[in-house]
Amino acid sequence: MSDNGNFLNRMRTEHEAFALKEVMNHKGDFLNLLKHTNYPLKIDLPSEKTQHGADIEIAHSTTVVAVRYRDGVMIAGDRRATAGTSVIYDRAEKVLQIDRHSVLAISGSPAIAYEIARILEHSFQYFRRSQLQELSLEGKLRMLSRLIRENLPMALQGIGGVIPIFALYDLNAADDENGGKIFFYDALGAHFENVNFATTGSGSIWIRGVLRYLSRFGDTPLQEMDVRQATVTILRLLDTASEYDAATSGYNARAQIFPNVKTVTRTGVEDIADDELETCYAEAQPDGEAS
Amino acid sequence: MRDEPYRWIEAIQDRRDYIEDQLRVGSPVVGLTYDDGMVLLTIGRGQRKIFEVHDRIALSAIGHPADIERLRMLVTDTASVQGFQNATEDVNLHRLTNFVLAHTFKQAFESIVGEAYIIKMLLAELGSTGDKNRFTCINYDGNVRTDMTSTVIGGTEVIETGMQNYLATASTGSDRDLTAALQLGLEAWAVGRELSSREPEEAESEETQVDTVQMHEIINVAREDGEIEAGVLETTQRGASKFRLLTSQEIETALP
Repeated sequence: MSDNGNFLNRMRTEHEAFALKEVMNHKGDFLNLLKHTNYPLKIDLPSEKTQHGADIEIAHSTTVVAVRYRDGVMIAGDRRATAGTSVIYDRAEKVLQIDRHSVLAISGSPAIAYEIARILEHSFQYFRRSQLQELSLEGKLRMLSRLIRENLPMALQGIGGVIPIFALYDLNAADDENGGKIFFYDALGAHFENVNFATTGSGSIWIRGVLRYLSRFGDTPLQEMDVRQATVTILRLLDTASEYDAATSGYNARAQIFPNVKTVTRTGVEDIADDELETCYAEAQPDGEAS
Repeated sequence: MRDEPYRWIEAIQDRRDYIEDQLRVGSPVVGLTYDDGMVLLTIGRGQRKIFEVHDRIALSAIGHPADIERLRMLVTDTASVQGFQNATEDVNLHRLTNFVLAHTFKQAFESIVGEAYIIKMLLAELGSTGDKNRFTCINYDGNVRTDMTSTVIGGTEVIETGMQNYLATASTGSDRDLTAALQLGLEAWAVGRELSSREPEEAESEETQVDTVQMHEIINVAREDGEIEAGVLETTQRGASKFRLLTSQEIETALP
């Protein structure tokens, strides 16, 4: 048999061996399956470069923000990618759909973050296909924990740290209840539920206080906002972050580059379209400054 | 035994008889295209029989549940890993069938000292732009058959021929809607069930006509201790995964 599908040709015999050990109590574990196929999940650096210890600061030049609004969760990120003080890309996607009801917003090393998002997406699908049921909400949270924890050596090397926000809609929530949930992770993979909002990335320090203020003292509390109000608020927040954080981009009117804004509701994940964002941008400007 | 050709052929024939005897009473599966995709349909007794393999690929089978499960895992694992390592668009039914499944089936069947798979498998692939929808059936001996607009798997060749003949005469083309496809599929299933309940010689005779009244009776009887199961690959489904099982309400509306 010609060797034209690297893995595919080896798959059958290897699967037999694998099956004897694993499949008979198959757990729908995609990560395990990938490891079995020798997929390089980690990059091993020479040892002299790995002993930086705990003084490594995880680079996370961006701003992503999630708020709980009336119908679920709205989650957004700016579009700038930086290397040191240079802007290298102005259309980066930092808010990634994982499945019909979950979204990952990333800050940190893009290579690892995209890989984590991809593994996560495939893991959920693989679980559904092999185990014939959706992975539970708790199961999804743990899967992400595990991926982040496995990535710890890279984070400690100072090159692969990822701190994401994970937003999901809990379909088991009662009809009149808001099933939107926001989770924040640390570098070791612990997850914490943020009730009303979460933000991460270098720009987040400039808006965390604003979020707290809006959520507690705002005219319309975050959780009561409709989709339009929430969009306007989020655009204002990103605008504020971009004012003070060099690694966060604002709205580029000339090139028509908008932040990524997604909603996670009972009906699934949806993008807020660019023309909608443009209208909201006009509304987000203070009186007299509208373009 | 291999240096005695006659005994080897005899052993293979015994094996064939044994497997076909086991398969004969299996509940047939019908695959049909319709205006928005493809549907797989059967009536089962509790055990799920229609599965999602990948974004655009679905699977069904008749045979021993343990064999179905093992081979379903093989094809699901292979498709998942390949879809991850390359891209999901790179997974296709032709390669899964010819590089992974067919020779697994053949090898198990012909290694007469090992266990044989008691299985007939039906896979459906929803074509992406420029590609056609495709049904592939793999027999327990590794033989592969491909159909474009409709297909069946049943316990024996006689049952399959009977069902296919019915589909050929009753079908009005592939532009039917889902309701029409479900009705046609159920009728073909009833033909298959009827043939599998007859003695082999009887089934082979010309008297294979099953009229509509009889069909509905067979379906109603089957539904008493079983359940209609149908899965679709829908082109209009949002997102990359096109498979979903139909709900019992959706199936109910298609019933006569």
